Amino acid sequence: MYRYDEFDETLVRERVAQFRDQVERRIAGALTEEEFVLIRQMNGLYLQLHAYMLRVAIPYGTLSARQMRQLALIADRHDRGYGHFTTRQNIQFNWPRLKEVADILDLLADVEMHCIQTSGNCIRNVTADHYAGVAADEIEDPRPTAELIRQWSSLHPEFSWLPRKFKIAVTGAAEDRAAIGVHDIGIRIVRGEAGETGYQVMVGGGLGRTPMIGKIVRDFLPRGELLSYLEAILRVYNLEGRRDNKYKARVKILVHELGVEAFTARVEEEFAALAGRGIDVDAEEIARIAAYFAPPAYETLPPVSEAFEAAKRDPDFARFARNNLFPHKVPGYTALTVSLKPIGKPPGDATADQMRVLADLAEAYSFGELRVTHVQNIVLPHVRLDDVPSVWAALVEAGLADANVGLITDIISCPGMDYCKLATARSIPIAEEISKRFADAERQALIGRLGIKISGCINACGHHHVGHIGILGLDKAGVENYQITLGGDPGDRTALGERLGPGIDGDEVPAAIERIVDLYLHLRTGDGEEFIDTLRRVGLDPFREALQPRETIRAAA
Amino acid sequence: MAGKRPALPLVLTANDLFGGEVVYFTRKGWSADRSRAFVAVDEAGADALEASLEEAIAAGEVVDPYLIDAGQAHYREQIRLTGPTIAYGEEALHVSL
Amino acid sequence: MPLLDRNGWTTESFTIVAYDDLDAALAARTPEQKLGVLVPNDIHPRMLAPVQDRLDLIAVQFPQHKDGRGFSLGRMLRQQGFTGTLRASGHILPDQFGFALHDGFDEVEIDEAQAARQPVEQWLHARALISESYQQTRDGPATIFEKRRAARAAG
Repeated sequence: MYRYDEFDETLVRERVAQFRDQVERRIAGALTEEEFVLIRQMNGLYLQLHAYMLRVAIPYGTLSARQMRQLALIADRHDRGYGHFTTRQNIQFNWPRLKEVADILDLLADVEMHCIQTSGNCIRNVTADHYAGVAADEIEDPRPTAELIRQWSSLHPEFSWLPRKFKIAVTGAAEDRAAIGVHDIGIRIVRGEAGETGYQVMVGGGLGRTPMIGKIVRDFLPRGELLSYLEAILRVYNLEGRRDNKYKARVKILVHELGVEAFTARVEEEFAALAGRGIDVDAEEIARIAAYFAPPAYETLPPVSEAFEAAKRDPDFARFARNNLFPHKVPGYTALTVSLKPIGKPPGDATADQMRVLADLAEAYSFGELRVTHVQNIVLPHVRLDDVPSVWAALVEAGLADANVGLITDIISCPGMDYCKLATARSIPIAEEISKRFADAERQALIGRLGIKISGCINACGHHHVGHIGILGLDKAGVENYQITLGGDPGDRTALGERLGPGIDGDEVPAAIERIVDLYLHLRTGDGEEFIDTLRRVGLDPFREALQPRETIRAAA
Repeated sequence: MAGKRPALPLVLTANDLFGGEVVYFTRKGWSADRSRAFVAVDEAGADALEASLEEAIAAGEVVDPYLIDAGQAHYREQIRLTGPTIAYGEEALHVSL
Repeated sequence: MPLLDRNGWTTESFTIVAYDDLDAALAARTPEQKLGVLVPNDIHPRMLAPVQDRLDLIAVQFPQHKDGRGFSLGRMLRQQGFTGTLRASGHILPDQFGFALHDGFDEVEIDEAQAARQPVEQWLHARALISESYQQTRDGPATIFEKRRAARAAG
């Protein structure tokens, strides 16, 4: 993974000194709160319902054991002993105190981490495929590209005061695991006609109030022109994005209002003016960055591990092996997902002790590396199959062994009104109740792959629009009310969910989900047909009735 | 400051600048103790509270001050008062290691 | 109105007209006049290309500090070859001063109330806090990428 050189290090340290100075000036009154808000947000500091919240950047979701240990230390020393992993591969601390934030930033800088631009109207954390570097369907590891974009976008003098936030995602594989279709800029690594590497660029995806799928503006952009092309897109957005209405200020609205042809023409016009001005980096720099992502020193192993196969005699281990492992391109290895979705608990949270366990396991079994997924789980990306039983045993002890990756209890949820000022309803209790309802492992296995995503308000930080089942919490006449959508999908067949019917009370949600699932089990063609495929086949209409309490459909056993 | 204010009785609330915790306006400054909040029960009290709101915004010693109904009927104000409704951290995730 | 450059407070030395009055001002211009125009931040810089060589100053309006269009305008004016004085005028923060200078601005103009609240030392200090830049700067420092390239060439 990337290591800072003296320049990266200097910039991050200077940024900490700058923030210390900004806090002092805020306290002294030289900066008004109105002036301070965006400044503190550009250092990841939000005000939530009960406390500040600090969002730490985990660039493209890649983390070292040493960094994970430091996050645990920060949780213990400056917070309430835990952290929350987010849908953009970051981590959030929910209880920092204003005067301690600069100290936290210093601790982060000690391990080459920061909170730069994790909020505010600027370019945010660049996210990527959490299986980068290990998936067999990969054309190229997206992380060197993501790291280059991270540097180019950090403290950009032209693009730090945009109309609104700006999110970029990169994928380098045949399957898109980075949800590029719902990002402001989505970048796909592709091969040109002569086999050279380049980028397909999409603009204008996003969730929130008006969810939209991004449009392709460039089918093939040569690798060496990436930064000047991104500058052109950002320049058009900075000049012409709406600033009159916060809910119409994302680039997706500009693309929609201009139309993709006109928007593309504007971008190409600015790009022509910017080309050759020294914005792009040379091939040596690209190679320098890429070298940090070279594969670790894998052993040569047989594809089948006897120890692993033998351990599957234990049905609990077998279940873990079936659900939580991803095929690694190197024989004898696997990418192991640690679920942060224990039954009935807040999704995506980990205690400081659990973070230390994960760090230790990464060091012992995964070349010191971890990943954060945008489904709020942790991946140990390079585990020998031989070692999976030992890893699993350690996870069991730490309460981190839930074998539910991709299953119905692997729920994405935003923090919701238990934490967030913007929320219109709570989301975590809904997630917890659904999780408890479907706790039975056999039943989860029967249901198969099904992604539930819950947002506590229309800003959709829980990505409910792209949930197979999406749940949106609203305020209906002073009572929490939940709308259910079906048919969303975040990957290559990006689709936005459709509302099933009127909103329902919070305590009716688990039963409604159960009726929907029972109907799916009844309607599916066989064990193999996944929920999303059954839905695509039969449409939403059969499920509309399932929303209401009076009808119950008995599923075939 | 434009816009309708909530119905009487009224309380003024904000977040503390340093700790971010929920605070309520009392006759003697801001307090996290809801029971000490000044409650405006008539128009004169409401006007005084609005004046305090303007001062609070100008002084910048608290963050995001605003008026709420004293009954805190809305669930959002209940949650602001009592804290997260779910267990978190060790209490939620505790496993003896 | 208080005026600031990279060294501290400075004094007004230009005759500045509104954008709508520019043609008339150019026509009526006297030789010793240092002429400048105040432009709103929603015009495209190419609108000024025909006259930029005859202007000593372009002042770009910053209606509020959150509105960062002016930063693009400044950079674009420099990229299209404007060599006169560039001024950012309106609501800008000391924390944006360094960015403005990097983008090609020479001066910042703020109102009295803000200047009282944010004395010149804060501006100069805020700017000095960040010494490195990944992106190109008009006011001097080589980019981090250029420094790396130089180090590779030397080493």
